[in-house]
Amino acid sequence: MSSDNQSSNDVLREEVRQWLAENWRPEIARTLSQEQYGWETSETRKAWLANVVESRWAVPRWPQQWYGRDLSDEQGKIVEREFAAVRAPGAGQDRINLWANTLLAGGSQALKEKLLAPLLKSEVNMCLLYSEPGAGSDLAGIRTRADRQGDHYVINGQKVWTSGAAVADYGMLIARTDWDVPKHRGISFFFCPMKQPGIEVRPLRQITDESHFNEVFITDVIVPVENLLGELNTGWQVLNMALAYERSSMGESARGPRSGVAESRNEEPLVALAREARVLAEPKLRQDIAQAISYKRLNALNSARAKADLEQGTSSSIMSLGKLAMSRILHEEARVRTEILGAQSLFEGEHYPRAEDANFLTLNAYFTSIGGGTDQIQRNIIGERVLGLPKEPEVDKTVPFRDVRTS
Amino acid sequence: METESGYDPDLWRSLSEMGVVGLVVDEAQGGSGVGPVELEAVMEEVGAALLCSPLLASGVVAAELLKALGDKGVSERLLPEIAAGTSIATAVLTGDSGCWTEEGVTITGEIQDGGWQLSGDGSYVLHGQNADVLLVVANTDEGLAAFVAASSAEGVSIEALPTFDHTLRLAGISFDGVEADRIEASGSVWEAVRRAMDLALVALAGEQAGGAQKVLDFTVEYAKTRIQFGRQIGSFQAIKHMAANLLLETESAISAARHAASRLAQDSENRAEAVSLAAFACADAFVKTAADGIQMHGGIAFTWEHPAHLYLKRARADAQLFGTPAYHRERYLQELGA
Repeated sequence: MSSDNQSSNDVLREEVRQWLAENWRPEIARTLSQEQYGWETSETRKAWLANVVESRWAVPRWPQQWYGRDLSDEQGKIVEREFAAVRAPGAGQDRINLWANTLLAGGSQALKEKLLAPLLKSEVNMCLLYSEPGAGSDLAGIRTRADRQGDHYVINGQKVWTSGAAVADYGMLIARTDWDVPKHRGISFFFCPMKQPGIEVRPLRQITDESHFNEVFITDVIVPVENLLGELNTGWQVLNMALAYERSSMGESARGPRSGVAESRNEEPLVALAREARVLAEPKLRQDIAQAISYKRLNALNSARAKADLEQGTSSSIMSLGKLAMSRILHEEARVRTEILGAQSLFEGEHYPRAEDANFLTLNAYFTSIGGGTDQIQRNIIGERVLGLPKEPEVDKTVPFRDVRTS
Repeated sequence: METESGYDPDLWRSLSEMGVVGLVVDEAQGGSGVGPVELEAVMEEVGAALLCSPLLASGVVAAELLKALGDKGVSERLLPEIAAGTSIATAVLTGDSGCWTEEGVTITGEIQDGGWQLSGDGSYVLHGQNADVLLVVANTDEGLAAFVAASSAEGVSIEALPTFDHTLRLAGISFDGVEADRIEASGSVWEAVRRAMDLALVALAGEQAGGAQKVLDFTVEYAKTRIQFGRQIGSFQAIKHMAANLLLETESAISAARHAASRLAQDSENRAEAVSLAAFACADAFVKTAADGIQMHGGIAFTWEHPAHLYLKRARADAQLFGTPAYHRERYLQELGA
């Protein structure tokens, strides 16, 4: 790095620090740190984010024309580090704000003017309208349709696995706009306004008895033409870009037990559980516990190695393994927890928090091994993109979509 | 592999000249003076190539045991020859039980006519049939002690053991009143053995990780070239998914082995935890990769002409040396405080 670069980085760092010192006041910090995370954004948070956006710290890598500073990636990281150091939110959205990045990359001038700033300020709520009952692993098989009528599109169909649909202002939606070409080539990508009569949101009851997702029924919903992202029928490319943003913003934030029963801070949870259940001396369980812990530990070591590889500029094949590893960790931990509890795992309810944990984890592990691409799809991706194995022949790849077989 | 000694003397000489044999021996004693991290990296290559040599016996276990025992006189006499490869040393640590624990020690040392004499039957001695120098851990009236004896000494009888892995050399060594020099340990003898075995386990972990990587590489390559049903077999998900699973095993093994090496190099507090994790994770990963690799090849790997079986045999052997995977899982859990 040249000394010029170094000194301009120092100037930038000083500028961010100065700005934070003047603006990130203790009362804001206190209010935001006590907030419960949810779909609705509080007024204090909105006001803070608006300040960050207008001061051009939200997306410093973006062009000046759109709330940015044209900074390099390295300089962008300097800004993020300073914000992180004082735990101030709002920076780094040029890296992690899925909605805004997708809109910037593919949106029309009119739509960008209308929505970019509100998205960065969290003034509008968003949801994803991708999967359908008949298009899960095979996402390009969607059958929701968009038909042009004058200066708008009319959408009809059904979407699923949509979180936040009830409060969303817009949904990022893929729909079929050409039925006479192969499946990947007849899809378009829209920002679909959600507050209109043709949108019906029904919560899904999950196997865990929770409801984080919805089904969305779409009947004669109107979308203005300016809400099309990318060219007509290039939605598959826009979608892949959006999915890449989504993956890069997803941390490894798998959920643990939900009982909230205090667990020893110094001891591995499985060890603590076995000790409490008085089975820690059983050799078979000890082997299983060690194995389950090792999966977690190995994944952490893999991630650390991948990160080190990235920092040295070498690409790493390990990143793609994280999700597969996580699903093994969760299923195995759930299995061992159940084994430790034995007959106690028959129960549920507040008097049996340990059983609640084991049973919840057993079911919720599928969130990771099915959601966001099943383990089987993940193995295809690893086999093909990392190991370079040939793709399975696809029988529907060159067939007009209307002739493709469905279940 | 098919020779009696089980290694190629010319190759051994080259490895010694390259500094590989004396990797962990101090420079002052003719070694390379590097540590576990470099050793692990070399061992990944050793595993990939299925090197047949007394490197683990002499350059790792014996050299590290001498260093850890800390008897200056003995070290200065033996380590330069070990590093130069002109002398092959090996350690006699256990007997027929194959338990590399303090209780597994089978040799006894007694003072007779003013000198130490060793008696008993040792086993699982790495390259015992090729060794000049025997480092022997024995029970004495004063507790555990370490000795050095010449393999040519009177009363030593060495029997090559028939190993399932033909790339490995093991011997049973009987001592019948063998005169030996006591090594004056600066601390606990078993602690020194533990250190030597930890380094050996890291070396083995590197060998296992490198071996697994090699098997995965040639198996994936085969899956791209073998055609059945008019398609490369790697396009079948039945094969592809096995390969993806093996990649996870292999990468995890590499991470674990390198992590253990760096913990050992830093002499950090949780080195035992890292070493035992690497020991079972790498052992299991190599066995699984080698085994599934054969399955993925199909018939060709059921023949002697394909090298896949050699990797499975090495993997199975490596998994048993210095403690089984189950033993190391137990040790890992104990290190975690359970």
